[in-house]
Amino acid sequence: MSQLTAEDFQPKNLPRLLVGLFSSYWLAMVVLIFMTLITLFGTLYQVDHGLFAAKQKYFHSWFLLHYLRDGMPLPPSLEWIGTIPLPMPGGFLLMLLLTINLSIGAIIKVRKRKKGIGMLIAHFGMIFLLVSGFVTFAFNREGYMALYEGQTGSRVESYRTWQLEILPLNEAGEADKALTIPYHDLETIREGERREFKAADLPFDIVISDYTKNAVPVPVSAPISAQATGREVGGFKLLVQKPSKEAEQNLPAVIATFRPKSGAGESVETILSARSANFDPRDGAMAFGFEIDGKRFAARMVKENWPVPFAVRLDKFIFERHPGVSMARNYESRITRIESGAERPLEIKMNEPMRYAGFTFFQESFGPANAAPGDAMYSQFAVHNNPADQWPLYSLLITTAGLMIHFGMRLFDHTSRPRRDAAAAPAGEAAAA
Amino acid sequence: MMRFFPLCLLAAATALTGCSKSKGPREITGVRELSADERKINIVESPAQRFRMPSEMAGGAGAAAAGGAGGGEAAAAGGGGALPFVWTTPEGWTQQPQAPMRDLSFAFGPNGEGECYLSRLPGAGGGLVANVNRWRGQMGLDPLTEAEIIALPKKPMFGLQGTFVDIAGTFSGMGGGPVRENYRMLGVIVSSDAGAVFVKLTGPAELVAANQTQFDAFCASLQPR
Repeated sequence: MSQLTAEDFQPKNLPRLLVGLFSSYWLAMVVLIFMTLITLFGTLYQVDHGLFAAKQKYFHSWFLLHYLRDGMPLPPSLEWIGTIPLPMPGGFLLMLLLTINLSIGAIIKVRKRKKGIGMLIAHFGMIFLLVSGFVTFAFNREGYMALYEGQTGSRVESYRTWQLEILPLNEAGEADKALTIPYHDLETIREGERREFKAADLPFDIVISDYTKNAVPVPVSAPISAQATGREVGGFKLLVQKPSKEAEQNLPAVIATFRPKSGAGESVETILSARSANFDPRDGAMAFGFEIDGKRFAARMVKENWPVPFAVRLDKFIFERHPGVSMARNYESRITRIESGAERPLEIKMNEPMRYAGFTFFQESFGPANAAPGDAMYSQFAVHNNPADQWPLYSLLITTAGLMIHFGMRLFDHTSRPRRDAAAAPAGEAAAA
Repeated sequence: MMRFFPLCLLAAATALTGCSKSKGPREITGVRELSADERKINIVESPAQRFRMPSEMAGGAGAAAAGGAGGGEAAAAGGGGALPFVWTTPEGWTQQPQAPMRDLSFAFGPNGEGECYLSRLPGAGGGLVANVNRWRGQMGLDPLTEAEIIALPKKPMFGLQGTFVDIAGTFSGMGGGPVRENYRMLGVIVSSDAGAVFVKLTGPAELVAANQTQFDAFCASLQPR
């Protein structure tokens, strides 16, 4: 960036100044240095707080405050340094600045000439990679589907978000539909707040309170209940647990009150806990049953879930252990994809996912964790619905093509120059003679 | 270019206002149709069972053995990879899956009606006197005084001398489940700065008597890893 003068800061020159600033090498250097720093600090933070919390704080943020004590032991004499908050730009802001910097500096402002076409393409590939990161951040939805052999699934469950379901029951104790209170309406309930929900279909209003991110319902008869500070409901209290650093291990709970709209009859109150759900796909969530105005209902806490536009049946789960130990050597799934009655057999292996209709099924895991050899096991697929799923590959190909063109042209220049010199030399010698 | 700035501010303010929710009741808008295999709803009346409390809290009988490891050091070590202690599983006992508030559970007896489990709690775990009397209450017995509890016999566990409880009576779990006549309970409680450890065995009196040696051996085998 050239030397700035007072004239550059005149309002009329502001656009030019901004373009100069945002396209400067200095900005690129500063952004890259901060990216290195937040990658380092985020990795250290992950040690104590887990991957999800680290991603949220350091990479899915505009700004953040970092404390040197996070993940980095300091000698007692320097512990005071660890308490000083260091303001830092977040990963989101840095990515945005880098995208702008590359777009203006390497695409718009750069002099377009034949020799620079390779670098232009390579920079375009890098910008495309950053854009794909943003699209993934904004629109990717990921969860999992777990199936035993013979089971068919068409819904994906979230790893870490829970919702409430209210189920009107028929006389057979079955439900046709579930009314859902989404996780963000639960997670935002503050201490002491009683949040009300209503639905025209229901003869009662619902009051949710005492939302706890990670809690164990304990009977008041147990001595440990003395450590539970919340209200007693039906002989139980919520014992608050420290949130796990692995966010998917948190099991939230609430106190739900079902209050008749008619005013007749008493309200029904219960604790609804994520502990009623079961991670084993053979067993669904256990529900609380109640009756209001002569009608039966059920309520339960389940993981947030969403449909895929086809069904997947697990035909065979192949699981091999290393000889003599329980460690997995190889595991893969033979599945059938079912869509509109048409069946297609497929295999999903490590690094060989199934991509279809915008969804990607990766072979992720297996269970139950304590399964002994010979026990039935389930296969777990990570399911991603990411519009930018393949964009990083495309950006890599574009960047590679750009660099190959650039270096190819440089190589051609290099190899052709000596021939010109050699061709010129005899003429010179002849002239000299 | 600057003339658009107030418009941008206005748009941002409008968007933010739109994001805030009113204080009144929120309408439930999310509705999903259940598929055929989801329609049967598993309603569980007992809250203890619904919260997956240990079977004693749920008031159920000892969990029937459903697979799991056999006895012996190797099986025990295999089942306790994440636990900070080692033990030897007695012959005839079957390790059960982990459950909330239980670090280690076993079932024994012809129908798995006897159970033994180990729990750890931070601090004193409610205190020795409260816990011994809680166990006595579950067997329908009156509480003891602190002096009587201190005078109870001791058994070795984790290299410490734990308070040993051996009581018989009518057993009822914490969740108010079925009452079981002619039951017997053996228990050892140790407390240290690291927390409290409880080992408790319950079952029909005859079955417990037949497993008393195994219980002693199990307690004595517990050692920090």
